[in-house]
Amino acid sequence: MSSNNKDLTDLKFQDELLFAGNPTFGSVTEDVSKVVETKPGQLWYVLFGISVSLTLMLFSMIGYLFWEGTGIWGLNNPVGWGWAIVNFVFWVGIGHAGTLISAVLFLLRQRWRTSINRFAEAMTIFAVICALLFPTIHVGRVWLLYWVLPLPNQMEMWPNFRSPLLWDTFAVGTYFTCSLLFWYVGLIPDLATLRDRAKDKWGKLLYGIFSLGWRGGNRQWQHYELAYLVLAGISTPLVLSVHSIVSTDFATSLVPGWHTTIFPPYFVAGAIFSGFAMVMTLALIARKVYNLEHIFTPKVLERMSWVMLLTGSMVGYAYSMEFFIAWYSGNEYERFAFINRAFGPYAWAYWIMITCNVISPQLFWFKKFRTSIPILFIISIVVNIGMWFERFVIVMTLSRDYLPSSWDYYSPTIYDIGIFIGSFGLLFTLFLLFLRFLPMVAMAEVKGVLPEADPHHGGSH
Amino acid sequence: MKKDNKVQQKKYFRSLEHLEGSKEYTEKAHREFPEGASEMNNDWSRRNFMGIMGASIALAGLAGCRRPKEKIIPYVQPPEDLIPGIAQQYSTTMPFGTSSYGIVVESHEGRPTKIEGNKLHPSTLGRSNAMIQAMTLGLYDPDRSQNLLQDGKEKTFDDFTAFWVEKFATYKESKGEGLAVLSESFASPTLARLKKQFGKTFPKASWVTYEAVSDENIYLGLKYATGKDIQPVYDYSKADVILSLDSDFTLTESEDITANAGFAAGRTIEDEHSKMNRLYVVETQFSGTGGVADHRLVIKQHEIVRFVTALAKELGVKGSEETPGVNLTDPCTAWLKPLVEDLISAKGKSLVVAGRRMPYEVHALVYAINKELKNIDKSVAYVEMRDVEVSSVDSLKSLADRMRSGVFSTVLMLNTNPVHNAPSDFKFSSALKKVENRIHVGLYNDETGKASTWHIPTTHFLENWSDARSVDGTASVVQPLIAPLFDGKSAVEVLSLVATGEYVDGHTIVKETWKDLVTGDFDSSWRKVLHDGLLAGSQNKTISPNYKSEYIYEVVGYFDQTVKGGIEVVFASSASVFDGRFANNGWMQELPSAVTRIAWDNVAQVSKKTADGLGLKSEDLINITINGVEIQMPLWVVPGTADDTVILELGYGRKNIGRIADKAGFDVYPARTSEAMSFVSGVTIAATGRTFEIANVQDHWSMEDRPIVREASKEDYEHHPEFAKHAVHHPPLESMWNEHKYDTGNQWGMAIDLTTCTGCSACTIACQSENNIPVIGKQEVRNGREMHWIRIDRYFTGDVDNSASVEMVHQPVACQHCEMAPCEQVCPVAATVHSDDGLNSMVYNRCIGTRYCANNCPYKVRRFNFFNFTKETPEIVKMAMNPDVTVRSRGVMEKCTYCVQRISKARIEAKKEDRAIVDGDVVAACQQACPANAIAFGDINDPESNVRQVKDRNRAYDLLAELNIRPRTSFLAKIRNLNPNMPKVQVAEIVEG
Repeated sequence: MSSNNKDLTDLKFQDELLFAGNPTFGSVTEDVSKVVETKPGQLWYVLFGISVSLTLMLFSMIGYLFWEGTGIWGLNNPVGWGWAIVNFVFWVGIGHAGTLISAVLFLLRQRWRTSINRFAEAMTIFAVICALLFPTIHVGRVWLLYWVLPLPNQMEMWPNFRSPLLWDTFAVGTYFTCSLLFWYVGLIPDLATLRDRAKDKWGKLLYGIFSLGWRGGNRQWQHYELAYLVLAGISTPLVLSVHSIVSTDFATSLVPGWHTTIFPPYFVAGAIFSGFAMVMTLALIARKVYNLEHIFTPKVLERMSWVMLLTGSMVGYAYSMEFFIAWYSGNEYERFAFINRAFGPYAWAYWIMITCNVISPQLFWFKKFRTSIPILFIISIVVNIGMWFERFVIVMTLSRDYLPSSWDYYSPTIYDIGIFIGSFGLLFTLFLLFLRFLPMVAMAEVKGVLPEADPHHGGSH
Repeated sequence: MKKDNKVQQKKYFRSLEHLEGSKEYTEKAHREFPEGASEMNNDWSRRNFMGIMGASIALAGLAGCRRPKEKIIPYVQPPEDLIPGIAQQYSTTMPFGTSSYGIVVESHEGRPTKIEGNKLHPSTLGRSNAMIQAMTLGLYDPDRSQNLLQDGKEKTFDDFTAFWVEKFATYKESKGEGLAVLSESFASPTLARLKKQFGKTFPKASWVTYEAVSDENIYLGLKYATGKDIQPVYDYSKADVILSLDSDFTLTESEDITANAGFAAGRTIEDEHSKMNRLYVVETQFSGTGGVADHRLVIKQHEIVRFVTALAKELGVKGSEETPGVNLTDPCTAWLKPLVEDLISAKGKSLVVAGRRMPYEVHALVYAINKELKNIDKSVAYVEMRDVEVSSVDSLKSLADRMRSGVFSTVLMLNTNPVHNAPSDFKFSSALKKVENRIHVGLYNDETGKASTWHIPTTHFLENWSDARSVDGTASVVQPLIAPLFDGKSAVEVLSLVATGEYVDGHTIVKETWKDLVTGDFDSSWRKVLHDGLLAGSQNKTISPNYKSEYIYEVVGYFDQTVKGGIEVVFASSASVFDGRFANNGWMQELPSAVTRIAWDNVAQVSKKTADGLGLKSEDLINITINGVEIQMPLWVVPGTADDTVILELGYGRKNIGRIADKAGFDVYPARTSEAMSFVSGVTIAATGRTFEIANVQDHWSMEDRPIVREASKEDYEHHPEFAKHAVHHPPLESMWNEHKYDTGNQWGMAIDLTTCTGCSACTIACQSENNIPVIGKQEVRNGREMHWIRIDRYFTGDVDNSASVEMVHQPVACQHCEMAPCEQVCPVAATVHSDDGLNSMVYNRCIGTRYCANNCPYKVRRFNFFNFTKETPEIVKMAMNPDVTVRSRGVMEKCTYCVQRISKARIEAKKEDRAIVDGDVVAACQQACPANAIAFGDINDPESNVRQVKDRNRAYDLLAELNIRPRTSFLAKIRNLNPNMPKVQVAEIVEG
């Protein structure tokens, strides 16, 4: 992407490709704020009802889990980690797109990102919330989880800094904090807009408090831009670090099939891949529901499909490289682990993964598919299914390690499945609340890329 | 506390008091569990039961820590040597059929918690087996019978006494006409004396002894051959060549401990030049003994009989010359010649044994063979039988017939359960109904108890006074470690009441017997007996009976000369529940079979080829029709089982016995008739189309060509002494950082000899008992969450479709205590850390349960408490727990600690005595139990220590050492001593360097 950076930026952000229908400053404000200021339609309530029900199911199952113990899941002796960790990595991966879109593309001046960045950041935060849920509930004694934090105590007992799980705690915690701040800072001008437009008391009060007295003055804009830039700078390495560190949960262990150096880059690529797919899914829905076709234009969607094609191909390359290295290493356990993935008891999952992650994005070589909304929607979902299975395949490597005497098969229970589905409920609940109460498109930023914002009207110099 | 039992024992028995008969005691004992007892009835609701048990124990308070009643001492004047928190050890004996096992029991404040073998006892030699280890749990079984019942109503023992006193007079008058006793078999001076007394009082009464699984055929065979009642006593260590004819002598046969020990002694090799015995096994079922065999011949049961006949002729046994001989088919033909040559070349240093399933004629022949091979008085001795009651199927039949015809008005069934396990053609339960007074004495209100008019709960052997004789005749005392928990009466007491008409306490009765056994001053001799647990020098006389060769012709001619087609069923005793008597023992039920690796159920074991032929696979539910009786069971493929054979284990499928026994497995007794107690042909198998879920802890048979169990033939070993170390090639093991040097102080390590390990699983149960490992139930085992800290991995090699080629290896795997432990690096809260003495410690308090350590353990020895597995442990079972070991809560990882509590104890002792810990101070529970002495443990930093020397042997290797994790446990490669002249059997290849 970066090589044709300049082209892209210059490429026509004035000629109606990024935003259709010739929006004006006023129409952008109106279109976006309207969603928050009017009562949502019936569809919103239906979706919200479903999501809340799933969330309730999630929390009641978690309650039962806490009451009985992790035995309610399908875990067994060789497979100490099951769906909980699969889901954790899945959600963390999804949570990558937000920061990438916001921070990295911001720094790279990819201005087509403006229509989707708010949206993507919100999704990131909610996905990370879902992700954090899983390592929390998967421990045997959840009431002692705070021991993983380096809290000073009279026993001078510190966590084990050699453990990747501890690195996770820091990495995901940092990522969540930074993403939240980044999102919030970006929200401030738009919150002020909503405050100014608010007619009811609560709206005035709450938007007033959270807009931190924004008045849109020059100095405020200057500070704001700087703060945003700094946060983008801080967030950028996190995009790489979070999933790299999550991958060390596997890569630093000595389980055959886990113990490989390819994991960090391959996890990051996979995370961006799945994150973009998830943003795509949500954007396509929101676009339809809120009639925002002129903001989420096909051009933006097509650029997202480029990213998916690229990262999908990287993931595919990683899969084949894993196989090659397993063979090349001469390590019989490694070789077995990979052959077992493709042809062992979990071969079905492996081939689902290959089909979804490697084959399906290759369709994006063709413009016809890149520009077809239904195809984009289907592939975005297929990719996320594939990426979930990728993590499943990786975790299930545990089922057959060194001593064949311990081999076993893992099957999920209704609690594994229910908690996973429930986590979608949580994501959608939070997301629907976001759509209802916060501006889903960064109005100030969109205005910045409108032709009106450019005094030279796109003059080429 | 003590290594020397002598001191404490003497003090312990100095203050014997007889509170027996005192009114308060009777009252107190009777009031012990009234709440629980009165509500028990037949409501077996688990929760209800436990609630009640918990409450009643709580109310009983300290009564749980009762000392034997003869010596209740108030703690205001503490007994000398009894320091709370310091365990004491007492010698006693576990009677088991015609065998007895001398044991030393660890007692914590009057609570027996752990059993070890008694070093002085000839049948245990300080070692034990899984069954003995599990007896503490059996003692505290809350499902044991707790009420004396008359027609299902609660009564007291006084009521029974009153009833009997009345009957006694009547029967005394009639000289016992209409009176019968059906007893378990025993070898006990006191019971024998009482039996004699019974016979004197009631000369016309009948006495019958029956065991569902017994050595009757062996005794009958020897009697047939010699005309005498004699007992064989084997010394496997004196045999260079051993031939087992369907004898699983290392596990399910009688006297497995000494067999294991002797066999192991003959094959514990220091290096490639050491001499090693050779074992040939001819069998049908794949047994643990078959697994350690150097050569194994898999044939059907009736073919074994033919094989023995041919063997006798080939060996030229006197009397066999004239016989027509048997036409053997392959593979037996190819076996015979080299086998005979090998046996003859080891004349006087060989041993031929036959299993208890073989018909008595085979045992008669085996006697002649051993005679021919000059083994008698060397590897096998025959001793006279004193005070022994041997099971007899024929006399049970006669009893049943006479009961049916109304001969008996009273039958006393002593610790026996014929309604469940008598041959089905006797129709025992219908015959029993014809008897007016049916008195059952038993640990459980079992099938027979429920069919009786009187049921008397009896005492566990850890609760009562009795005595026993080992197979060589050594007399030993059974002394109580705890007052009867459920107010039972011992067999001795009941039999004495029946024989004399008045109740005398067991202690008095046993002492009475021993007045004639010991010489010199009774009190001091008695004390010595109690301390040692046995009477030294009381062995029976060795007999060298005359051998009448005439019978050989008869025997050889007797056998059916034809090879029978069709499917043959073999009835096998279970290594877990034996004949069903341990069915309610959770440890035994949850112990995976060493061969099938199945826990909690019995299955119809067949070979792969047979299953394929029937179009069936493991877990398919099948109908087996045997002599018109249909039983339903799941099928299970066991590679290496004889083709066209189905192995059925006895003792499962109990009903209304207890929470453990019920629903575990399938009852096969209905298909077992007196005509075919061991095996039967002409069986049909039909699929039901349904499946049955089995809890199998090891799904995978193969080692996948991985260097896990490293194995070579003796010959290859001689050529490549370092083969085990060279089985894996890896880059130099270098560390990226300066490693901790574990080179000072004690450094604990272990070595396990795979050549002598027979997979008997004594270590697993010993560990379970020592370390409070919970029983989790079939469903959780099936879910793959078994908790055993030391497991016995079993692999098959060879072609599973060809049973003859299949070999089996066992490998006990516990935590290897890696110096660079992968589990330690990944724990986020540092809950598993290394100690200076090289232990990989698990800090339960700190564990939050991420299970990352278990994932990262290449041996998969870490066990996770997925639920609160001890939440539902009945209060009384908690009494079996070792107070030195933490009981783990939910969400916590656990694993082998190298018995860190024993290390600490030894360290404290050494410190108090201001000395260093010496080799032998620390004995791990698994090591202590191992009958083969295959486990060495100690300080690897001490060049003189046994474990160091074992680890330095050239066939020692560290499993997965190529991962650079430096395991502290080493394995000694498995060596098979192959006879080069035998037909080729596939052996795992040596990975050449």
